[in-house]
Amino acid sequence: MLKFILKRLIIIIPMALLVVTVTWGLIRIAPGNFYSTEKNLPPAIEANIKKKYGLDQPWYVQYGKMMWNILKLDFGDSLKYEGQSVNEIIARHFPYSATIGILAYILALILGLIAGIIAALKQNSFFDYFSMALAMLGLSVPNFVLGPILVLFFALGLYILPPARWGGPAYLIMPVITLAMVYAAYIARLTRAGMLEVLRSDYIRTARAKGLSEKTVLLKHALRGGIIPVVSFTGPALASLLAGTVVVEKIFAIPGLGNIFIQSVFNRDEPLILGIVAFLSILVMIFNLIVDISYGFLDPRIRYE
Amino acid sequence: MTRIFTSRIRIGIALISLSVFLVSCTTQATSKYWGQVEVPNDNKMRYITGSEPESLDPQFVTGQPEARILIGMFDRLVEYHPKTMQPIPSLATHWEVSDDLVNYTFHLRKGAKFSNGDPIKADDFLYSFRRALSPELASRYAFIGYEIKYAEDFNSAKSFVKKDGKFLLAKDFEEKKDDQKQPIAKDKPDVLKKETVKESAPGNDAKKPESADSSTKIDANEEKSVSEFTKYINSPARLTLSKPDPENKESMEAHEKLLEEKPGLKEALEGAEYVQIKPEDIGVEVLDDHTLRITLKQPAPYFVGMLTHQFFSALHKPTVEKEGWQEPENAPNMVVSGAYKVKEWKPYDELTVEKNPNYWDADRVSLDEIVFYPMDEQTTMMNIYKAGRVDALYNHTVPAAWNEYIRTFKDEYLLHPEVAIEYYTFSVKKKPVDDVKVRKAFGFAINREALEVYRKTVKKSVSFTPEGIFPEYEEARSRVWEKLRKEARIPDDEWEKRYYNPKKACELMKEAGYTVNMEGEKCKVTDFPADEIQLSYNTAESNKQVAVFVQQQWKQNLGIEVQLKNMEWKTYLKFRSAVEYKGMARAGWVGDYMDPYTFLSQFYSPKNDSSTGWWDQKYDDLLDEANNTRDPVKRYEKMAEAEFYMLQDQPVIPLSTNGTSWMKKPYVKGMYPNPGTMHPWKFIYFEEDKSKWDSNVDNILKEENPKTYAHINDLMKTQIEFEKSKNPEAEKDSDSNKAEEE
Repeated sequence: MLKFILKRLIIIIPMALLVVTVTWGLIRIAPGNFYSTEKNLPPAIEANIKKKYGLDQPWYVQYGKMMWNILKLDFGDSLKYEGQSVNEIIARHFPYSATIGILAYILALILGLIAGIIAALKQNSFFDYFSMALAMLGLSVPNFVLGPILVLFFALGLYILPPARWGGPAYLIMPVITLAMVYAAYIARLTRAGMLEVLRSDYIRTARAKGLSEKTVLLKHALRGGIIPVVSFTGPALASLLAGTVVVEKIFAIPGLGNIFIQSVFNRDEPLILGIVAFLSILVMIFNLIVDISYGFLDPRIRYE
Repeated sequence: MTRIFTSRIRIGIALISLSVFLVSCTTQATSKYWGQVEVPNDNKMRYITGSEPESLDPQFVTGQPEARILIGMFDRLVEYHPKTMQPIPSLATHWEVSDDLVNYTFHLRKGAKFSNGDPIKADDFLYSFRRALSPELASRYAFIGYEIKYAEDFNSAKSFVKKDGKFLLAKDFEEKKDDQKQPIAKDKPDVLKKETVKESAPGNDAKKPESADSSTKIDANEEKSVSEFTKYINSPARLTLSKPDPENKESMEAHEKLLEEKPGLKEALEGAEYVQIKPEDIGVEVLDDHTLRITLKQPAPYFVGMLTHQFFSALHKPTVEKEGWQEPENAPNMVVSGAYKVKEWKPYDELTVEKNPNYWDADRVSLDEIVFYPMDEQTTMMNIYKAGRVDALYNHTVPAAWNEYIRTFKDEYLLHPEVAIEYYTFSVKKKPVDDVKVRKAFGFAINREALEVYRKTVKKSVSFTPEGIFPEYEEARSRVWEKLRKEARIPDDEWEKRYYNPKKACELMKEAGYTVNMEGEKCKVTDFPADEIQLSYNTAESNKQVAVFVQQQWKQNLGIEVQLKNMEWKTYLKFRSAVEYKGMARAGWVGDYMDPYTFLSQFYSPKNDSSTGWWDQKYDDLLDEANNTRDPVKRYEKMAEAEFYMLQDQPVIPLSTNGTSWMKKPYVKGMYPNPGTMHPWKFIYFEEDKSKWDSNVDNILKEENPKTYAHINDLMKTQIEFEKSKNPEAEKDSDSNKAEEE
């Protein structure tokens, strides 16, 4: 088990470096640069800029320098935001994304699990049909539709919630709901399917035959097996929720990492793009690892060699 | 359990329908204003300025969002007039221009202080300007300071060339036409011309005493003897070169090329010494604590207008030299020269500035605080505005699809002309648009009136300068163009139809040698190689709409189907500026300062910014002549002539002048839809009294709000009185000067 974890952790480093290299290459291939604007720059000014940021050196020197700094976990200064380091920017904006991400995750789990379990237990009941229809709706309504509808209703119609920006808890309500809905719907469907399958399996029949109470059968035996598909879905889902979701952050003008990431691409802000990409890829890989580990706890049949 | 759930759902449905009802009620209840309108009780203005500021360094940033914030934080010699954006006195109370239009002497406001109480002196400007232009700062906006003598050379890290104790002069190497036109110091006093060779710039060399006290044209302080620097800076322009670097191949190649271009240079350089141009060498001189003189490389009557730009801010040296002063958490410690200083900066969230009590005009600054929200999502901004959580938006914030509805809010929606134009460029060296007749045909075949109606926020245009922005220029232009078009034998009816004339377009195509089948006013050009051209634009919904519109026009009127091609912004920029495109490309231009020259200069010099490949010596000469003219009306006439000359060759198809298109709450006063959406914050205040709120803002530029105007007039007094005292007998002259300022 420990060996498995170590092996996976070690592999994260070359993987992240590979991701960074590919990203770096892509940025370099894309025409345009961080300083180009509507106005053509006089060559002298361009030369000054290139000199200042070391862009006048050969590409392999620039690449080597960048890799060396990344190994030291230093992504350098942003090109767009003068005097701000990439590490600082990530550290500053990640908490915003993480806050709405975690809240949305919790909300999605609560709604999804409860709806899914009940639907599975009362299969073919009104609640089952209703909640699954709702889940279908949740899956098919994209967040860039749901968000504005919520805004229209609560912020511009009733004037009870702020339409956008960051502030107190009231500012969190709509972004979190918008973000959570798709995930909640997905989780509900996965839970229902997983539970239905497990409830029909032999070990549940055995548990019931042993005369265990329905509560124990459900919570101790069925649930653990039933939510395995949910776990494999929510691991990466949590990573992407934490990393910031561009659409929701844009609609609600939240200063999160997703917003910054998109902007950095438009700005051709190379160090910032690379920093965020590296950070996100490590985040995703770690969450995948956690998911893999948790399988072992949920299902005794899964073993790590 | 199911029953409980269904009953909950019933309650839910009931609640939803109730609130839908409430929503419809609330939207109908407030019909006069859009959404919530309530004067904030904390005297704190909330404004959306566009995307996140790159930095708060006024000399480094390039964008409008930053500029709007920074003009409130850093004061300049002159401030924008809130309506017209023409310069009005700020840290300079008054200024004078020498007869040759190259020396500008500014008299600074006495008693002006930085936010920490340090006095603002001429030295601070000297420091600020030198820093702004230094190659190390690598400011992308440095070109706005290139009018200052040797500023461009300093910014390009060039050197003077010294041989036998004398500096080589630029004019001695100018026989052959070279690419970068050097100004000709033709009207300098002879005395200076002969003696300059012996001089050296301060800081360059040991100061050599000057033999004769030459009587220059500098009229600032005649009582004083003319300084070493004054003589140096007014002497004929020295030759400036990039010192070739033997280790750098590119630099050596450029040097070789230069030697070929300039006759006699190679010989002259033998045994000569390169003297690197230092910050001290640029044309900025401190005469005393409150007098600053700027010397330009060539006459530029628009120069004072340029000084409103944040690039020319007064910076506090100890602050700027501190490590990490630009970091957001250090922002509140920034010492500023303007009306507001930073209270808190949370990037991507909000930037709050508070009133600077040490500001020289602090008594008349009304708003206690301003908070800027960085945001660029149109719908989100509009939502926040409607919810009454911001007081005003920046320009072009109203989504095109909402325009019809939003413009019914007459007291809030501001649509006025902007100092910005949109046009299509031609790649004039590539077939088939290398033929001027073809270019003109494409221009005539666009119905600009229909385009104006379709776009809703723009004004039709066939000129390369914006319409409705420079009234004096436009007056001169219409006079000159009337004369010129008669000389060019353009008949009346054709002139009247210059915004759209499909018939003429067809005739031109025919003249260009294509087979044309007329169909009434319109035609089909059968053998035009339409696949050889494209209409390129950068990806954006509005650009696409215009491109599709124009494509349709050409198809209907000429029977030519031009393919469209769109590209991501930064990719597009490179593609267009290298003139890689074939056919036409979309372009827009926003004026850097309030003078038509900011547009016309795009075609100036062979290496111009026009992205067309077009250049003409006569055009350059006309503009040079214009800028050597002191009388503003005569200058405008020359410029109009240049504009006409260029447009006759149609390297571009002008389409429209942009409109501002933004909203503000009616209680925000002293804020105007000026041509660049630059708001000098010190003039803005909240009006509690509903009867004084702004109404029908289409006329807002004609109204003279007493409070704001008392303030502006008082500020302008110093310069007006100074001009009167200078030449009391020439009333007429001072009047025309005043006109230039207004």
